Amino acid sequence: MEPLNDRELNQILQEWRPPATPSSLGRIPPRMPWWRWLLVGTIRIPVPVGVAMLAGMALLLFFMASGRKQPALSESPRQVSLKPVRVVSLADFQPVNQLQPRIIGRANEGN
Amino acid sequence: MTEAEITAAFGQHKDAVYRFAWRMTRSPSAAEDIAQEVFLSLLTHPERFRGERGTLRAFLLGTARNISLKRWREQNRWDPLEDHDFVAQPLDPEGQEIGEYVAGAIALLPLLQRETLILAEYEGLTLEEIAHAVHAEVGTVKSRLHRARENLRRMLAPLKPVNRSCTWNR
Repeated sequence: MEPLNDRELNQILQEWRPPATPSSLGRIPPRMPWWRWLLVGTIRIPVPVGVAMLAGMALLLFFMASGRKQPALSESPRQVSLKPVRVVSLADFQPVNQLQPRIIGRANEGN
Repeated sequence: MTEAEITAAFGQHKDAVYRFAWRMTRSPSAAEDIAQEVFLSLLTHPERFRGERGTLRAFLLGTARNISLKRWREQNRWDPLEDHDFVAQPLDPEGQEIGEYVAGAIALLPLLQRETLILAEYEGLTLEEIAHAVHAEVGTVKSRLHRARENLRRMLAPLKPVNRSCTWNR
């Protein structure tokens, strides 16, 4: 099939006509005030930054939660120390009258 | 630029910006959004336009081009912008009006060829203005325009009088 020449192409390209500009585009869009941007504005965050922020928040929450538990753990030894301490007296401690050493050979180690 | 100058620019160039955005997206609502975004951007950052670097019209069309490209990128994340190996085949014009047929052929062009063709053929920008708008060298723009036209010559070949085998609805 023979391709179009320059003149034919230019002529045919002009057949593609755009629609009229819509009347809704009749005035310049108003600039958004800064306080309105705080209510309806959006920002784009790159995925790695978003993931890092979420991970940071998760870690922060984790450490905050574990930080609350720590006082409870440190209280437990104090509770133990409050128990009455048994006093051991050495008054009845007597040395043995006679030492009876037994020599056990390697063969009778189990006995 | 003062706000009054921006309002005047809106009245003067809104049709060209809308038309370009419509040809790039083929969607009236997307074209309207893009046109609004272009003028909102001018209102917010008027210092970005520098008269010594080109006309306001070319600057606004360049902004519309950047916004269209950003939107296209969001929808076609993995598609190449420029396809050097793209070789067009003649399209089947069955049951289409010439305008639709031309639109369909242009939509098939790789994006960078398409925007260059629209800016040159429909908006009448010079090669230098297009190069500035699309952030490319003049030689590159020339080559894109040439390839776009070559592709269209082949795609639209069934419209050539000697090739026509059917009557067309105009």
